[in-house]
Amino acid sequence: MATISVPEGAARGRRIGFAPPIRLIGAGLLVPLLGLVAWAVGAREGWVPPQILPAPDLVWDTFLDLWQSGDLFANTLVSLQRVLVGFAAGAALGLLLGTAMGLSRSFEAYASVLFTALAQVPALGWIPLVMLLVGIGEPLKLIIIAVGTLVPVAWNTRAGTHAVPPGWFEAASLWRYSRAQVVWHIVLPATVPQIFVGLRYGLGHAWLALVVVELLASSEGLGYLLVWGRQMFQLDVVIATMAVIGAIGFALDAALAALERRLQRWQVVDP
Amino acid sequence: MTALRRRRMDWRGLVPVVVLLAGWEGVSRSGLTDPRIVPRLEGLVGLFGTEIEEKALLANLAASVIRDVTGFSIGAGIGVAGGLLLGLSPLASALLRPSFDVFRQIALFAWIPLIEMWFGIGESSKIVFVVLAAFTPTLINTVEGTRSVPAKLVEVGALLRYRRPQMLLAIYLPAALPSILTGVHLALVQSWLATIGAEYFMTAGPGIGTLIIEGRDRFQMGQTVLGMILIGTVGFVLNRIARAAETRLLRCRAA
Amino acid sequence: MRPMRSIANRLCVAATLLACLLTSTARAEELTVRIGYASIGAGNRPFVGGTLAATAHAGHYLEDELKSDPGVKIEWFFFAGAGPAVNEAFANGQIDIALQGDLPSVIGRANGLQTKILLASGVNTPIYLAVTPDSDIKTVADLKGRSVALYRGTNLQLAFDKVLASKGLSEHDLKIINMDAATADAALASHDVDAAVGANELFELQKNGIAKIVYSTKGDDPSFGRNSAVIAAASFELAHPEITQKIVTAFVRAALWSSDEANRDALFELWAKSGYPADSFRADFEGQPLKLRNSPLIDPFIVHQYEVQAQQARAYKLLRKDLDLTGWFEPKYVETALRQLGREHRWTARDANGHDLGS
Repeated sequence: MATISVPEGAARGRRIGFAPPIRLIGAGLLVPLLGLVAWAVGAREGWVPPQILPAPDLVWDTFLDLWQSGDLFANTLVSLQRVLVGFAAGAALGLLLGTAMGLSRSFEAYASVLFTALAQVPALGWIPLVMLLVGIGEPLKLIIIAVGTLVPVAWNTRAGTHAVPPGWFEAASLWRYSRAQVVWHIVLPATVPQIFVGLRYGLGHAWLALVVVELLASSEGLGYLLVWGRQMFQLDVVIATMAVIGAIGFALDAALAALERRLQRWQVVDP
Repeated sequence: MTALRRRRMDWRGLVPVVVLLAGWEGVSRSGLTDPRIVPRLEGLVGLFGTEIEEKALLANLAASVIRDVTGFSIGAGIGVAGGLLLGLSPLASALLRPSFDVFRQIALFAWIPLIEMWFGIGESSKIVFVVLAAFTPTLINTVEGTRSVPAKLVEVGALLRYRRPQMLLAIYLPAALPSILTGVHLALVQSWLATIGAEYFMTAGPGIGTLIIEGRDRFQMGQTVLGMILIGTVGFVLNRIARAAETRLLRCRAA
Repeated sequence: MRPMRSIANRLCVAATLLACLLTSTARAEELTVRIGYASIGAGNRPFVGGTLAATAHAGHYLEDELKSDPGVKIEWFFFAGAGPAVNEAFANGQIDIALQGDLPSVIGRANGLQTKILLASGVNTPIYLAVTPDSDIKTVADLKGRSVALYRGTNLQLAFDKVLASKGLSEHDLKIINMDAATADAALASHDVDAAVGANELFELQKNGIAKIVYSTKGDDPSFGRNSAVIAAASFELAHPEITQKIVTAFVRAALWSSDEANRDALFELWAKSGYPADSFRADFEGQPLKLRNSPLIDPFIVHQYEVQAQQARAYKLLRKDLDLTGWFEPKYVETALRQLGREHRWTARDANGHDLGS
């Protein structure tokens, strides 16, 4: 994802020459490797107490333990399920809301004040209220994740619909497109990029909301593993779980990005 | 279009708000629900009044805002500095950017247990968390802005034989300013979120998050809702301030 | 742009100073002894009850004992995060002495914290299982498949695991949700959980009709209780043995007062400063002599209790390796204190099985 570009006029020292990717990947790995070495040495020498800095091999062992015992897989699955369901619900609502606000002036006039007001409160802020209303079970988690997804998706979808060149609408009315045809042939292709921006933000927010809600009141999931590690004073469990959380967050985003590229390829064919 | 907006406020926007409030009042009076869970609206207003009188509300609000501003300034400061470094130095970027991108993947709140175990009880954990939240978007956007400075501008600077500091101040910073300001704006939003989150999850202390949690523990939904309204309001105000600052600063920058 | 940067700079400096101020301990000629208590009062107020250490705090015993050392100050910290939070504070060097439950102390030691147990405080403390008032749960066995609020990492967890095991159940048979006391109380009241494991604060809930206590370790096997102790950072104890002695003596004085039956009512009233009513403590201590629960002795019984806790924690996978407790206990301070006060015979040491040792 990181594209290394050298701004012209700011060339310092050597120019990027042969085999640039390998050299650059090498450079990227240098710092983490140094960090790893420093970590291992620091843990062995006891520069920092082991409760604060568990040795890297302990973290690795813990990770393997969690994996082999099935704990990691089970909790990851639970978290993934939650985030996908919550994201789907929130994204669907957000798409609907965004399209409606974007296409219908009157709907936007009615809805935008309330929507903007509610959008100011982050998903985190909704938790106590929703908790009082629905308790601490699955519905709480799904609702909070959906709320976190809804706002960026709706915003960006709405912005996307505004991006349709007005001439296209005229053309559509000339060709007597039905509402549905307008949406499918005109609105969607033009707005796909912006919608995907919204969806990616939404997924990011959904994953974040999941972690938050699992930290608070859960009996399973990756956030719950974090809490377990903390209560049991096992920082290696915390670190291993953080790594998994990061990896999954990355994978989810990458999947969506790949989907977007697919869609854009399809979309380019259409005018 | 802005002129039009200012002249004619669209009253239709208030309809759903009124409907919601009326529905709430209706439900709270109907006796269908537990009065602690759905309090009367006058109760809320009354609560707001007493809380202000008892100064608890203002103290909590002030504590949250101070925490937010402290963490935000440190985080955004480091983010801009780091972003400039990564944007201007291909070496630094090659060395550090991949690591940063990896750490960035870890959802912000997943850092809470680690930060608390590393920084212990007290304000430091919360402030570190807010710094982390502010740092990421600032850095990313500053790098973006610095990278996308048009080559022509850089050439002009080279032609004028600008030294490094002059290049930075006269060419790069102004050109990257829009992106930097976007990053700072995002950081403002994120750090407010992180402030409230820190108050939820870390050791108790004054703050709006604590107010909300206590409201939930004591079953005073009024207090919880009040806290939520405050969160939303402060978030909104911060957003407005950021936007106004952005417009102002971009206007006075030479085109 | 420029004004913003300099304001930001000023804020940075101010923030750094503020952070330093808040995290640094008192330096220079004075010594501040930071004492952490693994619990907190109702509504997060800084008062607690139920142990001799709580008496020591509420009655200012430590401050009185150290009056002759004007350079020494005592600072109390109360942790809603309970035992686990105390461990974090120890690891960060933010406290010197703490009152902590057996399981978190054992976990701390297993994870390399260098500590010393100075005296017992809160021996054979019962745990209670509370359910919603209309619940059909009557015994522990009925908990199968239900959701239970339990504060992980505290001595409540281990005690509860033992109770479960005695009924043929394990944590996997239930849905355990990690919650601190305040959250668990709220969850019970709103029926978000079917049951909660807790201590004397549950009596208040029962009195208000929000919950029903269906099980107590008091009626069951007495070894199911949990223990707490006053534990110190080994570095502190090594560096300040005289101060440590004075502090332990102060705690022992508090123990003496707390175990005198004549003070029973006054004791509960003192503990009521925590925001939990005296009646809750009365119910908690019903049928038990004060002398038993408020004994500061480190005798073979207590040592054996902690050894058992360590073994069981290992068996329940709460620890990852076997733990050696040799050298962890420092009974000399308690013994010296009792001798100084002339009350060596106030309590009788018990052997590993709880039977009184001769003399």
